[in-house]
Amino acid sequence: MTISWIQAALLGLFACLASMPGLGGTSIGNYTLGRPLVGGLVCGLILGDMKTGILCGVAMQVVYIALVTPGGTVSADVRAISYIGIPLAMVAIKTQGLDPASVEGTGLATSMGTLVGTVGTVLFYGTATLNLAWQHYGWNAITKGDFHKVYLVDWVLPWISHILFSFIPTLIMCKLGASAVTALKTALPMDGLAMKTLFTVGSLLPCVGIAILLKQIVENVVDFIPFFVGFTLAASLGLNLVSSAVISLIFATLYYQLEMIKSTRVAVASGDFDDEEEDI
Amino acid sequence: MAEKKISKKALSRAFHHWYYGNLTCFTQEHMQTFGYLASMLPIIEDLYDNKEDQQRSMNTYTAFFNTEPQLGALVVGITAGLEEARANGAGDVDDETINGLRAGLMGPIAGIGDSLVVGTLIPVLLGIALGLSTGGSPVGAIFYIVVWNLLAYFGMKLAYMKGYELGGKAVDFLVGPQGLAIRKSVGIVGGMVVGAVAATWVSVKTSFVLKNAAGEAFLVLQDQIDAVYPGLLTAIFIVFCWWLMAKKNVSPIKVMLLLVVIAFVGVFLGFFNPGLQY
Repeated sequence: MTISWIQAALLGLFACLASMPGLGGTSIGNYTLGRPLVGGLVCGLILGDMKTGILCGVAMQVVYIALVTPGGTVSADVRAISYIGIPLAMVAIKTQGLDPASVEGTGLATSMGTLVGTVGTVLFYGTATLNLAWQHYGWNAITKGDFHKVYLVDWVLPWISHILFSFIPTLIMCKLGASAVTALKTALPMDGLAMKTLFTVGSLLPCVGIAILLKQIVENVVDFIPFFVGFTLAASLGLNLVSSAVISLIFATLYYQLEMIKSTRVAVASGDFDDEEEDI
Repeated sequence: MAEKKISKKALSRAFHHWYYGNLTCFTQEHMQTFGYLASMLPIIEDLYDNKEDQQRSMNTYTAFFNTEPQLGALVVGITAGLEEARANGAGDVDDETINGLRAGLMGPIAGIGDSLVVGTLIPVLLGIALGLSTGGSPVGAIFYIVVWNLLAYFGMKLAYMKGYELGGKAVDFLVGPQGLAIRKSVGIVGGMVVGAVAATWVSVKTSFVLKNAAGEAFLVLQDQIDAVYPGLLTAIFIVFCWWLMAKKNVSPIKVMLLLVVIAFVGVFLGFFNPGLQY
Protein backbone atom coordinates (compact mmCIF):
# COMPACT_ATOMS: atom_id res chain seq x y z
CA MET A 1 0.00 0.00 0.00
CA THR A 2 1.31 3.46 -0.86
CA ILE A 3 -0.05 6.96 -0.29
CA SER A 4 -0.20 9.36 -3.25
CA TRP A 5 0.34 13.11 -3.01
CA ILE A 6 -3.36 13.75 -3.54
CA GLN A 7 -4.32 11.30 -0.80
CA ALA A 8 -1.72 12.84 1.52
CA ALA A 9 -3.08 16.32 0.74
CA LEU A 10 -6.64 15.22 1.57
CA LEU A 11 -5.40 13.79 4.86
CA GLY A 12 -3.69 17.13 5.48
CA LEU A 13 -6.94 19.01 4.91
CA PHE A 14 -8.75 16.81 7.43
CA ALA A 15 -5.88 17.39 9.87
CA CYS A 16 -6.58 21.16 9.64
CA LEU A 17 -10.26 20.63 10.39
CA ALA A 18 -9.87 18.00 13.09
CA SER A 19 -7.25 19.40 15.42
CA MET A 20 -7.70 20.95 18.80
CA PRO A 21 -8.03 23.97 18.16
CA GLY A 22 -9.37 22.93 14.77
CA LEU A 23 -11.01 24.77 11.92
CA GLY A 24 -13.97 22.42 11.93
CA GLY A 25 -14.95 23.97 15.27
CA THR A 26 -14.93 22.14 18.59
CA SER A 27 -17.93 19.85 18.18
CA ILE A 28 -17.53 18.93 14.51
CA GLY A 29 -13.74 19.26 14.27
CA ASN A 30 -12.13 18.12 17.49
CA TYR A 31 -14.88 15.92 18.93
CA THR A 32 -16.09 14.36 15.66
CA LEU A 33 -13.42 14.34 12.93
CA GLY A 34 -10.62 14.21 15.50
CA ARG A 35 -11.83 11.01 17.20
CA PRO A 36 -9.73 8.08 15.93
CA LEU A 37 -12.87 6.02 15.20
CA VAL A 38 -14.14 8.70 12.79
CA GLY A 39 -10.59 9.31 11.57
CA GLY A 40 -10.39 5.61 10.75
CA LEU A 41 -13.48 5.89 8.58
CA VAL A 42 -12.17 9.00 6.80
CA CYS A 43 -8.65 7.57 6.28
CA GLY A 44 -10.15 4.28 5.11
CA LEU A 45 -12.27 6.09 2.52
CA ILE A 46 -9.35 8.27 1.34
CA LEU A 47 -6.92 5.35 1.06
CA GLY A 48 -9.51 3.02 -0.44
CA ASP A 49 -9.58 0.39 2.32
CA MET A 50 -12.38 1.29 4.68
CA LYS A 51 -12.25 -1.93 6.70
CA THR A 52 -8.56 -1.62 7.61
CA GLY A 53 -9.06 2.08 8.36
CA ILE A 54 -11.89 1.46 10.78
CA LEU A 55 -10.09 -1.42 12.50
CA CYS A 56 -7.05 0.84 13.07
CA GLY A 57 -9.37 3.61 14.26
CA VAL A 58 -11.10 1.26 16.72
CA ALA A 59 -7.73 0.13 18.14
CA MET A 60 -6.54 3.71 18.70
CA GLN A 61 -9.90 4.96 19.95
CA VAL A 62 -9.61 2.74 23.03
CA VAL A 63 -6.34 4.45 23.98
CA TYR A 64 -7.84 7.89 23.50
CA ILE A 65 -11.36 7.22 24.73
CA ALA A 66 -11.05 10.06 27.21
CA LEU A 67 -8.97 12.78 25.67
CA VAL A 68 -9.84 15.50 28.15
CA THR A 69 -7.84 18.69 27.70
CA PRO A 70 -8.29 20.51 31.00
CA GLY A 71 -7.21 24.13 30.79
CA GLY A 72 -5.86 23.66 27.28
CA THR A 73 -3.12 21.22 28.23
CA VAL A 74 -2.78 18.34 25.81
CA SER A 75 -1.02 15.02 26.26
CA ALA A 76 -1.69 13.86 22.70
CA ASP A 77 -2.65 15.59 19.47
CA VAL A 78 -5.78 14.31 17.72
CA ARG A 79 -4.80 15.46 14.23
CA ALA A 80 -1.55 13.49 14.49
CA ILE A 81 -3.24 10.35 15.87
CA SER A 82 -6.10 10.32 13.39
CA TYR A 83 -4.56 11.66 10.19
CA ILE A 84 -0.87 10.68 10.47
CA GLY A 85 -0.96 7.70 12.85
CA ILE A 86 -3.86 5.84 11.26
CA PRO A 87 -2.65 6.12 7.62
CA LEU A 88 0.85 4.98 8.62
CA ALA A 89 -0.55 2.13 10.72
CA MET A 90 -2.67 1.04 7.74
CA VAL A 91 0.40 1.00 5.49
CA ALA A 92 2.40 -0.88 8.13
CA ILE A 93 -0.29 -3.51 8.62
CA LYS A 94 -0.66 -4.00 4.88
CA THR A 95 3.07 -4.27 4.21
CA GLN A 96 3.59 -6.64 7.15
CA GLY A 97 0.84 -8.78 5.71
CA LEU A 98 -1.07 -8.77 8.99
CA ASP A 99 -4.76 -9.27 9.48
CA PRO A 100 -5.97 -5.83 10.70
CA ALA A 101 -8.58 -7.51 12.93
CA SER A 102 -6.00 -9.68 14.72
CA VAL A 103 -4.30 -8.93 18.03
CA GLU A 104 -1.04 -8.24 16.17
CA GLY A 105 -2.76 -5.81 13.80
CA THR A 106 -4.40 -3.77 16.55
CA GLY A 107 -1.22 -3.89 18.66
CA LEU A 108 0.80 -2.40 15.81
CA ALA A 109 -1.84 0.26 15.13
CA THR A 110 -1.97 1.23 18.80
CA SER A 111 1.79 1.54 19.22
CA MET A 112 2.17 3.59 16.08
CA GLY A 113 -0.77 5.88 16.77
CA THR A 114 0.36 6.60 20.31
CA LEU A 115 3.91 7.36 19.27
CA VAL A 116 2.79 9.76 16.54
CA GLY A 117 0.11 11.27 18.80
CA THR A 118 2.57 12.04 21.58
CA VAL A 119 5.18 13.53 19.25
CA GLY A 120 2.35 15.45 17.53
CA THR A 121 1.70 17.63 20.59
CA VAL A 122 4.39 19.88 19.12
CA LEU A 123 1.89 20.66 16.32
CA PHE A 124 -0.64 21.81 18.93
CA TYR A 125 1.83 24.21 20.52
CA GLY A 126 2.94 25.44 17.10
CA THR A 127 -0.61 26.30 16.05
CA ALA A 128 -1.48 27.97 19.35
CA THR A 129 1.71 30.02 19.32
CA LEU A 130 1.29 31.33 15.77
CA ASN A 131 -2.32 32.28 16.60
CA LEU A 132 -0.85 34.81 19.05
CA ALA A 133 0.17 36.90 16.04
CA TRP A 134 -3.42 36.99 14.71
CA GLN A 135 -4.78 37.88 18.15
CA HIS A 136 -2.29 40.73 18.42
CA TYR A 137 -3.58 42.05 15.10
CA GLY A 138 -7.13 41.62 16.46
CA TRP A 139 -6.49 43.66 19.62
CA ASN A 140 -5.28 46.58 17.54
CA ALA A 141 -8.36 46.40 15.33
CA ILE A 142 -10.70 46.40 18.35
CA THR A 143 -8.94 49.41 19.88
CA LYS A 144 -9.44 51.25 16.58
CA GLY A 145 -13.12 50.30 16.55
CA ASP A 146 -12.74 48.04 13.52
CA PHE A 147 -14.83 45.27 15.10
CA HIS A 148 -15.45 43.12 12.04
CA LYS A 149 -11.77 42.19 11.97
CA VAL A 150 -12.70 39.89 14.88
CA TYR A 151 -14.26 37.49 12.38
CA LEU A 152 -11.13 37.56 10.25
CA VAL A 153 -9.00 36.81 13.29
CA ASP A 154 -11.23 34.07 14.66
CA TRP A 155 -12.13 32.23 11.46
CA VAL A 156 -9.76 33.06 8.59
CA LEU A 157 -6.24 33.86 9.77
CA PRO A 158 -5.85 30.61 11.80
CA TRP A 159 -5.86 28.82 8.43
CA ILE A 160 -2.31 30.11 7.98
CA SER A 161 -1.32 28.49 11.28
CA HIS A 162 -2.95 25.27 10.16
CA ILE A 163 -1.33 25.20 6.75
CA LEU A 164 2.03 25.41 8.50
CA PHE A 165 1.35 23.13 11.47
CA SER A 166 -1.34 20.73 10.24
CA PHE A 167 -1.39 20.51 6.47
CA ILE A 168 2.32 20.45 5.63
CA PRO A 169 3.41 18.08 8.47
CA THR A 170 0.61 15.65 7.60
CA LEU A 171 1.37 15.80 3.90
CA ILE A 172 5.07 15.10 4.41
CA MET A 173 4.70 12.51 7.18
CA CYS A 174 2.12 10.50 5.24
CA LYS A 175 4.06 10.67 1.99
CA LEU A 176 7.52 9.93 3.38
CA GLY A 177 6.44 7.89 6.40
CA ALA A 178 4.80 5.30 4.18
CA SER A 179 8.10 4.28 2.59
CA ALA A 180 9.86 4.41 5.97
CA VAL A 181 7.27 2.04 7.39
CA THR A 182 7.83 -0.33 4.49
CA ALA A 183 11.58 -0.27 5.11
CA LEU A 184 10.93 -1.11 8.76
CA LYS A 185 9.74 -4.57 7.81
CA THR A 186 13.16 -5.64 6.55
CA ALA A 187 14.98 -3.90 9.40
CA LEU A 188 13.04 -5.45 12.27
CA PRO A 189 12.04 -9.11 12.15
CA MET A 190 8.66 -9.92 13.68
CA ASP A 191 9.93 -12.52 16.15
CA GLY A 192 12.70 -10.24 17.45
CA LEU A 193 12.68 -8.57 20.84
CA ALA A 194 11.95 -5.11 19.40
CA MET A 195 8.78 -6.08 17.54
CA LYS A 196 7.54 -8.29 20.38
CA THR A 197 7.97 -5.34 22.75
CA LEU A 198 6.22 -3.01 20.32
CA PHE A 199 3.18 -5.26 20.08
CA THR A 200 3.08 -5.85 23.84
CA VAL A 201 3.17 -2.10 24.42
CA GLY A 202 0.24 -1.87 22.02
CA SER A 203 -1.83 -4.12 24.24
CA LEU A 204 -0.81 -2.29 27.44
CA LEU A 205 -1.38 1.30 26.25
CA PRO A 206 -5.20 1.22 26.29
CA CYS A 207 -4.90 0.79 30.09
CA VAL A 208 -3.62 4.38 30.24
CA GLY A 209 -6.63 5.66 28.28
CA ILE A 210 -9.07 3.92 30.63
CA ALA A 211 -7.07 5.12 33.64
CA ILE A 212 -7.27 8.75 32.49
CA LEU A 213 -11.02 8.36 32.30
CA LEU A 214 -11.12 6.79 35.77
CA LYS A 215 -9.18 9.76 37.09
CA GLN A 216 -12.16 11.91 36.05
CA ILE A 217 -14.74 9.62 37.63
CA VAL A 218 -13.08 8.25 40.77
CA GLU A 219 -12.86 10.60 43.73
CA ASN A 220 -12.71 7.95 46.43
CA VAL A 221 -12.31 4.17 46.31
CA VAL A 222 -16.08 3.53 46.42
CA ASP A 223 -16.35 5.13 42.96
CA PHE A 224 -14.50 2.12 41.57
CA ILE A 225 -17.57 -0.06 42.21
CA PRO A 226 -19.60 0.97 39.11
CA PHE A 227 -16.46 0.47 37.01
CA PHE A 228 -15.92 -3.07 38.30
CA VAL A 229 -19.60 -3.97 38.01
CA GLY A 230 -19.45 -2.94 34.35
CA PHE A 231 -16.15 -4.78 33.92
CA THR A 232 -17.65 -7.96 35.40
CA LEU A 233 -20.79 -7.73 33.25
CA ALA A 234 -18.65 -7.66 30.11
CA ALA A 235 -15.74 -9.91 31.11
CA SER A 236 -17.54 -12.62 33.08
CA LEU A 237 -21.08 -12.49 31.69
CA GLY A 238 -20.09 -11.52 28.17
CA LEU A 239 -22.63 -8.69 27.85
CA ASN A 240 -22.00 -6.09 25.16
CA LEU A 241 -21.79 -2.35 25.77
CA VAL A 242 -25.39 -1.45 25.02
CA SER A 243 -26.66 -4.16 27.39
CA SER A 244 -24.26 -3.00 30.10
CA ALA A 245 -25.41 0.59 29.59
CA VAL A 246 -29.08 -0.45 29.91
CA ILE A 247 -28.37 -2.29 33.18
CA SER A 248 -26.51 0.75 34.50
CA LEU A 249 -29.66 2.87 33.99
CA ILE A 250 -31.50 1.12 36.83
CA PHE A 251 -28.66 1.85 39.24
CA ALA A 252 -28.51 5.46 38.07
CA THR A 253 -32.26 5.88 38.61
CA LEU A 254 -32.10 4.41 42.12
CA TYR A 255 -29.15 6.59 42.97
CA TYR A 256 -30.93 9.70 41.73
CA GLN A 257 -34.04 8.94 43.82
CA LEU A 258 -31.91 8.37 46.93
CA GLU A 259 -29.99 11.60 46.44
CA MET A 260 -33.21 13.56 46.01
CA ILE A 261 -34.72 12.03 49.17
CA LYS A 262 -31.52 12.87 51.00
CA SER A 263 -31.56 16.50 49.88
CA THR A 264 -35.24 17.03 50.83
CA ARG A 265 -34.52 15.46 54.24
CA VAL A 266 -31.65 17.86 54.78
CA ALA A 267 -33.88 20.78 53.82
CA VAL A 268 -36.62 19.66 56.24
CA ALA A 269 -34.14 18.97 59.03
CA SER A 270 -32.52 22.37 58.74
CA GLY A 271 -36.01 23.89 58.71
CA ASP A 272 -36.80 22.21 62.07
CA PHE A 273 -33.59 23.47 63.49
CA ASP A 274 -34.50 27.03 62.61
CA ASP A 275 -37.85 26.68 64.37
CA GLU A 276 -36.25 25.45 67.56
CA GLU A 277 -33.88 28.34 67.53
CA GLU A 278 -36.75 30.75 67.31
CA ASP A 279 -38.41 29.11 70.34
CA ILE A 280 -35.37 29.74 72.45
CA MET B 1 -37.93 54.83 24.82
CA ALA B 2 -39.07 51.35 23.85
CA GLU B 3 -37.39 48.48 25.60
CA LYS B 4 -34.56 47.02 23.56
CA LYS B 5 -34.67 43.34 22.74
CA ILE B 6 -32.07 41.32 20.89
CA SER B 7 -33.58 40.29 17.56
CA LYS B 8 -34.03 36.56 16.92
CA LYS B 9 -31.67 36.79 13.97
CA ALA B 10 -28.87 38.38 15.97
CA LEU B 11 -29.28 35.86 18.77
CA SER B 12 -29.13 32.97 16.34
CA ARG B 13 -26.03 34.42 14.64
CA ALA B 14 -24.38 34.90 18.01
CA PHE B 15 -25.07 31.29 18.98
CA HIS B 16 -23.69 29.93 15.71
CA HIS B 17 -20.58 32.06 16.00
CA TRP B 18 -19.93 30.46 19.38
CA TYR B 19 -20.88 26.95 18.20
CA TYR B 20 -18.33 27.16 15.40
CA GLY B 21 -15.64 29.56 16.52
CA ASN B 22 -15.21 29.03 20.27
CA LEU B 23 -11.70 27.64 19.86
CA THR B 24 -10.71 28.33 16.26
CA CYS B 25 -8.24 31.07 17.22
CA PHE B 26 -6.98 29.34 20.38
CA THR B 27 -3.79 30.54 22.04
CA GLN B 28 -2.33 29.72 25.42
CA GLU B 29 -2.55 33.41 26.30
CA HIS B 30 -6.20 34.23 25.68
CA MET B 31 -7.73 30.82 24.84
CA GLN B 32 -11.41 31.38 23.96
CA THR B 33 -11.48 35.18 24.14
CA PHE B 34 -11.73 35.76 20.39
CA GLY B 35 -14.44 33.14 20.04
CA TYR B 36 -16.31 35.05 22.73
CA LEU B 37 -15.85 38.40 20.95
CA ALA B 38 -17.02 36.92 17.64
CA SER B 39 -20.12 35.64 19.39
CA MET B 40 -20.95 38.90 21.19
CA LEU B 41 -20.43 41.16 18.17
CA PRO B 42 -23.80 40.50 16.46
CA ILE B 43 -25.57 41.18 19.78
CA ILE B 44 -23.64 44.37 20.46
CA GLU B 45 -24.34 45.68 16.96
CA ASP B 46 -27.98 44.79 17.34
CA LEU B 47 -28.38 46.57 20.69
CA TYR B 48 -26.32 49.73 20.19
CA ASP B 49 -26.32 52.17 17.30
CA ASN B 50 -23.57 54.50 18.43
CA LYS B 51 -19.91 53.64 18.27
CA GLU B 52 -19.06 54.58 21.88
CA ASP B 53 -21.49 52.09 23.37
CA GLN B 54 -20.30 49.41 20.98
CA GLN B 55 -16.68 50.08 21.89
CA ARG B 56 -17.41 49.98 25.62
CA SER B 57 -19.26 46.68 25.34
CA MET B 58 -16.65 45.06 23.09
CA ASN B 59 -13.97 46.03 25.61
CA THR B 60 -15.90 44.18 28.31
CA TYR B 61 -15.42 40.89 26.49
CA THR B 62 -11.72 41.28 25.82
CA ALA B 63 -11.07 39.75 29.27
CA PHE B 64 -9.60 36.26 29.38
CA PHE B 65 -12.07 33.42 28.95
CA ASN B 66 -11.69 29.65 28.93
CA THR B 67 -14.08 26.87 29.89
CA GLU B 68 -15.50 23.65 28.47
CA PRO B 69 -16.86 25.30 25.31
CA GLN B 70 -19.91 23.11 24.82
CA LEU B 71 -21.47 23.49 28.24
CA GLY B 72 -19.88 26.95 28.24
CA ALA B 73 -22.54 28.06 25.74
CA LEU B 74 -24.59 28.61 28.89
CA VAL B 75 -22.23 31.36 30.06
CA VAL B 76 -22.24 33.05 26.67
CA GLY B 77 -26.03 32.98 26.70
CA ILE B 78 -26.14 34.50 30.19
CA THR B 79 -23.94 37.40 29.12
CA ALA B 80 -26.17 37.98 26.07
CA GLY B 81 -29.03 38.46 28.53
CA LEU B 82 -26.92 40.75 30.72
CA GLU B 83 -25.87 42.86 27.74
CA GLU B 84 -29.53 43.29 26.87
CA ALA B 85 -30.23 44.43 30.43
CA ARG B 86 -27.36 46.90 30.23
CA ALA B 87 -28.69 48.30 26.95
CA ASN B 88 -31.99 48.91 28.74
CA GLY B 89 -30.24 50.98 31.33
CA ALA B 90 -30.09 48.51 34.19
CA GLY B 91 -27.77 50.44 36.49
CA ASP B 92 -26.41 47.41 38.32
CA VAL B 93 -25.06 45.76 35.15
CA ASP B 94 -21.57 47.04 34.40
CA ASP B 95 -18.22 45.62 33.28
CA GLU B 96 -17.55 44.36 36.78
CA THR B 97 -20.83 42.45 37.05
CA ILE B 98 -20.40 40.81 33.67
CA ASN B 99 -16.75 39.91 34.05
CA GLY B 100 -17.17 38.87 37.66
CA LEU B 101 -19.85 36.44 36.57
CA ARG B 102 -17.80 35.15 33.64
CA ALA B 103 -14.72 34.63 35.77
CA GLY B 104 -16.75 32.99 38.52
CA LEU B 105 -18.45 30.57 36.14
CA MET B 106 -15.59 29.41 33.91
CA GLY B 107 -14.06 27.16 36.55
CA PRO B 108 -17.19 25.30 37.71
CA ILE B 109 -18.58 25.02 34.16
CA ALA B 110 -15.24 23.63 32.91
CA GLY B 111 -15.25 21.07 35.73
CA ILE B 112 -18.83 19.96 35.10
CA GLY B 113 -18.43 20.04 31.31
CA ASP B 114 -15.16 18.09 31.31
CA SER B 115 -16.52 15.35 33.54
CA LEU B 116 -20.04 15.21 32.10
CA VAL B 117 -19.58 15.89 28.37
CA VAL B 118 -15.98 14.96 27.62
CA GLY B 119 -15.51 12.42 30.42
CA THR B 120 -18.87 10.64 30.29
CA LEU B 121 -21.13 11.39 27.32
CA ILE B 122 -18.45 11.12 24.62
CA PRO B 123 -16.82 7.93 26.02
CA VAL B 124 -20.25 6.27 26.40
CA LEU B 125 -21.18 7.12 22.80
CA LEU B 126 -17.74 6.02 21.59
CA GLY B 127 -17.99 2.81 23.61
CA ILE B 128 -21.28 1.94 21.94
CA ALA B 129 -19.85 2.96 18.55
CA LEU B 130 -16.79 0.75 19.07
CA GLY B 131 -19.08 -2.22 19.62
CA LEU B 132 -20.96 -1.44 16.41
CA SER B 133 -17.71 -1.12 14.43
CA THR B 134 -16.35 -4.54 15.46
CA GLY B 135 -14.95 -6.29 12.44
CA GLY B 136 -14.40 -3.06 10.52
CA SER B 137 -18.00 -2.00 9.96
CA PRO B 138 -18.59 1.74 9.36
CA VAL B 139 -21.89 1.61 11.30
CA GLY B 140 -20.29 2.53 14.64
CA ALA B 141 -18.43 5.53 13.23
CA ILE B 142 -21.57 6.78 11.46
CA PHE B 143 -23.63 6.22 14.64
CA TYR B 144 -21.18 8.36 16.60
CA ILE B 145 -21.05 11.13 13.96
CA VAL B 146 -24.85 11.44 13.82
CA VAL B 147 -25.77 11.02 17.50
CA TRP B 148 -22.93 13.12 18.90
CA ASN B 149 -23.47 16.02 16.51
CA LEU B 150 -27.21 16.14 17.10
CA LEU B 151 -26.67 16.10 20.87
CA ALA B 152 -23.86 18.67 20.69
CA TYR B 153 -25.74 21.09 18.44
CA PHE B 154 -29.12 21.01 20.15
CA GLY B 155 -27.59 20.65 23.61
CA MET B 156 -25.47 23.76 23.08
CA LYS B 157 -28.41 25.64 21.59
CA LEU B 158 -30.52 24.72 24.62
CA ALA B 159 -27.76 25.79 27.00
CA TYR B 160 -27.31 29.10 25.18
CA MET B 161 -31.01 29.97 25.02
CA LYS B 162 -31.62 28.89 28.64
CA GLY B 163 -28.69 31.03 29.71
CA TYR B 164 -30.17 34.01 27.83
CA GLU B 165 -33.68 33.51 29.22
CA LEU B 166 -32.93 32.49 32.79
CA GLY B 167 -29.65 34.27 33.47
CA GLY B 168 -28.18 33.31 36.82
CA LYS B 169 -31.05 30.90 37.58
CA ALA B 170 -29.68 28.52 34.94
CA VAL B 171 -26.52 28.18 37.01
CA ASP B 172 -28.44 27.49 40.20
CA PHE B 173 -29.92 24.44 38.54
CA LEU B 174 -26.52 23.11 37.53
CA VAL B 175 -24.88 23.49 40.92
CA GLY B 176 -28.03 22.94 43.02
CA PRO B 177 -28.98 19.65 44.71
CA GLN B 178 -30.98 18.35 41.72
CA GLY B 179 -28.15 19.12 39.32
CA LEU B 180 -25.72 17.38 41.64
CA ALA B 181 -27.94 14.29 41.92
CA ILE B 182 -28.25 14.10 38.13
CA ARG B 183 -24.52 14.47 37.68
CA LYS B 184 -23.76 11.75 40.20
CA SER B 185 -26.22 9.29 38.67
CA VAL B 186 -24.90 9.99 35.17
CA GLY B 187 -21.49 9.23 36.66
CA ILE B 188 -22.73 5.73 37.56
CA VAL B 189 -23.75 5.07 33.95
CA GLY B 190 -20.37 6.42 32.85
CA GLY B 191 -18.46 4.25 35.31
CA MET B 192 -20.24 1.05 34.33
CA VAL B 193 -19.92 1.67 30.60
CA VAL B 194 -16.24 2.45 30.98
CA GLY B 195 -15.84 -0.82 32.90
CA ALA B 196 -17.53 -2.68 30.06
CA VAL B 197 -15.37 -0.86 27.49
CA ALA B 198 -12.25 -1.87 29.42
CA ALA B 199 -13.30 -5.52 29.64
CA THR B 200 -14.29 -5.66 25.98
CA TRP B 201 -11.49 -3.72 24.32
CA VAL B 202 -8.47 -3.95 26.57
CA SER B 203 -6.76 -7.29 26.86
CA VAL B 204 -3.57 -7.84 28.84
CA LYS B 205 -2.56 -11.49 28.76
CA THR B 206 0.46 -13.40 29.96
CA SER B 207 2.13 -16.24 28.09
CA PHE B 208 3.84 -17.52 31.23
CA VAL B 209 3.80 -21.32 31.35
CA LEU B 210 5.56 -23.79 33.66
CA LYS B 211 6.44 -27.12 32.07
CA ASN B 212 7.35 -30.44 33.67
CA ALA B 213 10.28 -32.62 32.62
CA ALA B 214 8.30 -34.22 29.81
CA GLY B 215 7.59 -30.79 28.34
CA GLU B 216 3.89 -30.78 29.25
CA ALA B 217 2.51 -27.57 30.65
CA PHE B 218 1.29 -27.99 34.23
CA LEU B 219 0.73 -24.32 34.97
CA VAL B 220 -0.76 -21.99 32.38
CA LEU B 221 -0.81 -18.74 34.35
CA GLN B 222 -3.42 -17.02 32.17
CA ASP B 223 -5.91 -19.87 32.74
CA GLN B 224 -5.31 -19.69 36.48
CA ILE B 225 -5.90 -15.94 36.50
CA ASP B 226 -9.11 -16.25 34.48
CA ALA B 227 -10.34 -18.89 36.92
CA VAL B 228 -10.07 -16.35 39.73
CA TYR B 229 -11.62 -13.39 37.92
CA PRO B 230 -11.81 -13.06 34.14
CA GLY B 231 -9.72 -10.14 32.96
CA LEU B 232 -7.93 -9.76 36.31
CA LEU B 233 -4.58 -8.91 34.71
CA THR B 234 -6.20 -6.19 32.58
CA ALA B 235 -7.92 -4.76 35.67
CA ILE B 236 -4.65 -4.79 37.64
CA PHE B 237 -2.85 -2.85 34.92
CA ILE B 238 -5.65 -0.27 34.67
CA VAL B 239 -5.76 0.31 38.43
CA PHE B 240 -1.95 0.51 38.47
CA CYS B 241 -2.01 3.23 35.76
CA TRP B 242 -4.79 5.06 37.62
CA TRP B 243 -2.82 4.88 40.88
CA LEU B 244 0.28 6.30 39.21
CA MET B 245 -1.61 9.20 37.64
CA ALA B 246 -4.17 10.00 40.34
CA LYS B 247 -2.18 9.26 43.50
CA LYS B 248 1.42 9.77 42.42
CA ASN B 249 0.78 12.60 39.91
CA VAL B 250 2.74 10.87 37.16
CA SER B 251 2.00 12.36 33.73
CA PRO B 252 0.31 10.13 31.10
CA ILE B 253 3.40 10.28 28.89
CA LYS B 254 5.62 9.00 31.70
CA VAL B 255 3.16 6.20 32.43
CA MET B 256 3.29 5.24 28.77
CA LEU B 257 7.10 5.17 28.87
CA LEU B 258 6.97 3.01 31.99
CA LEU B 259 4.70 0.57 30.13
CA VAL B 260 7.30 0.37 27.35
CA VAL B 261 9.87 -0.67 29.97
CA ILE B 262 7.46 -3.19 31.52
CA ALA B 263 6.70 -4.63 28.08
CA PHE B 264 10.40 -4.94 27.25
CA VAL B 265 11.26 -6.69 30.53
CA GLY B 266 8.13 -8.83 30.26
CA VAL B 267 8.98 -10.00 26.76
CA PHE B 268 12.58 -10.63 27.82
CA LEU B 269 11.48 -12.83 30.74
CA GLY B 270 8.84 -14.63 28.71
CA PHE B 271 5.94 -13.15 30.66
CA PHE B 272 4.56 -11.49 27.52
CA ASN B 273 4.68 -12.97 24.07
CA PRO B 274 2.37 -11.68 21.37
CA GLY B 275 3.21 -14.83 19.36
CA LEU B 276 4.09 -13.22 16.07
CA GLN B 277 5.53 -14.61 12.91
CA TYR B 278 5.48 -13.86 9.22
